[in-house]
Amino acid sequence: MIVVNNLCKSFGDHQVLKNISEHIYPGEKVVIIGPSGSGKSTFLRSLNLLEEPTSGSISFEGTVITDTKTDIDVIRRQMGMVFQHFNLFPNMTILKNITLAPVRTGLMTQKEAEEKAMHLLQRVGLESKANAYPNQLSGGQKQRIAIVRALAMNPKVMLFDEPTSALDPEMVGEVLSVMKELAADGMTMVVVTHEMGFAREVGSRVLFMDEGQILEQNTPEALFGNPQNPRLKDFLSKVL
Amino acid sequence: MEIYELWKPLVRSGEATGWQSFYVKFFQAFLENDRWRSYLDGVGTTLMVTAMALAIGVILGIIVAMIRTAHDQQRPGKKNLLLGLINAVSQVYVTVIRGTPMMVQLLIMGFVIFSSSRNYTLVGALTLGINSGAYVSEIIRGGLMALDPGQAEAGRSLGLNYIDTMRFIVIPQAFKAILPSLGNEFIILLKDTSLITVIGGKELVYAAQAIYGRTYEQMFPLLGIACVYLVLVIIFSYLVSLLERRLRQSDRR
Repeated sequence: MIVVNNLCKSFGDHQVLKNISEHIYPGEKVVIIGPSGSGKSTFLRSLNLLEEPTSGSISFEGTVITDTKTDIDVIRRQMGMVFQHFNLFPNMTILKNITLAPVRTGLMTQKEAEEKAMHLLQRVGLESKANAYPNQLSGGQKQRIAIVRALAMNPKVMLFDEPTSALDPEMVGEVLSVMKELAADGMTMVVVTHEMGFAREVGSRVLFMDEGQILEQNTPEALFGNPQNPRLKDFLSKVL
Repeated sequence: MEIYELWKPLVRSGEATGWQSFYVKFFQAFLENDRWRSYLDGVGTTLMVTAMALAIGVILGIIVAMIRTAHDQQRPGKKNLLLGLINAVSQVYVTVIRGTPMMVQLLIMGFVIFSSSRNYTLVGALTLGINSGAYVSEIIRGGLMALDPGQAEAGRSLGLNYIDTMRFIVIPQAFKAILPSLGNEFIILLKDTSLITVIGGKELVYAAQAIYGRTYEQMFPLLGIACVYLVLVIIFSYLVSLLERRLRQSDRR
């Protein structure tokens, strides 16, 4: 579904991603773990070109998205993204936050988009907040809305960039449970997270990144149960 | 009127009491020969010049700010040559306008570039607008850059194009943030209209000067127009604060 070939990314002299090649298949739940500064967020953000790779190529369902001739907006409509800091639009109501993109991109009429939004809001138990503004919500509620906003575009894959890292501990659960439901529905997901429990329970494959490289990858059972790479062993001993 | 005629000779001969000479001078400054009409005309011109300069300044400011922000936000490897060129022009414009005094710009526009034009007020409005545009563009650019980049990223990640992201997400939030600075800039603009007197623009200061040129009594005309400016600015500030309050609605908790 997503094919990454020899991806490199530098910020100035600092090389953040070193020659990464990876294949993400439909229906997979890929969880990326690793220490801070390992390049995992940059890798995720490269997948929908929020970060422009320095070299290498990325293709999505056969379209080379790193080609400057590709209309990246069309590709991004099929890739939902959830951010660490939610990034809801504070100048709009929740309903408007959700319906803006589907309507403006011509995917749905306003009425269809609102029906879809209300349906999705019901699924995450926030239909009563449709006319509230983002600043009136808690962090967990905001992140659930952010997931709904991405889902409203009917994406083929969902990218999560540390979706629970900015939340109070007691709100992590409500967001993770929405993500688990999504995974159970068969959505293709790429998740950067520090939630090892989530990685173990939901991930179909776990990647361990450090210093811009994928050092080890395996099923969660194997990766957590029998880590090979010394740095992965060290990392796991600290976080588990 | 009768009192004025009665007391005027006393002021001439120096026999008038303080109160009497105050009344006579006040009468001369504002009421004699319906002089209040010239102030009124002056206020009208001041407001008109402000409105025109405001319109020119805001339009120029938005265009320049958009050019410069769009130029800075290009995808690397997708640099647009034309955009680079108009960005350079915009930078020269901002540098020159901010680097030279308002008064000098007015004199150059009035006596060099438009030396054959007799419509001094219009030339003045144009100059003020061009001047204001440079400052407004920097205010807008500051607002656009201060906004959390995550907002634009969220918009783009949903598949919205650059224009839609700016229009629905970035600009409305940036506008709210820069409103106080914009209000400030507009107050400065309103007061700077007084400068167009130097090229013969017939606004409020011009009216006051014409009157004390006849009466040789400066205090009342000048204090009078000072009050008018003050009142105009207070009204203006009130309107800006009303707008701010309306835009803040989404911040309530």
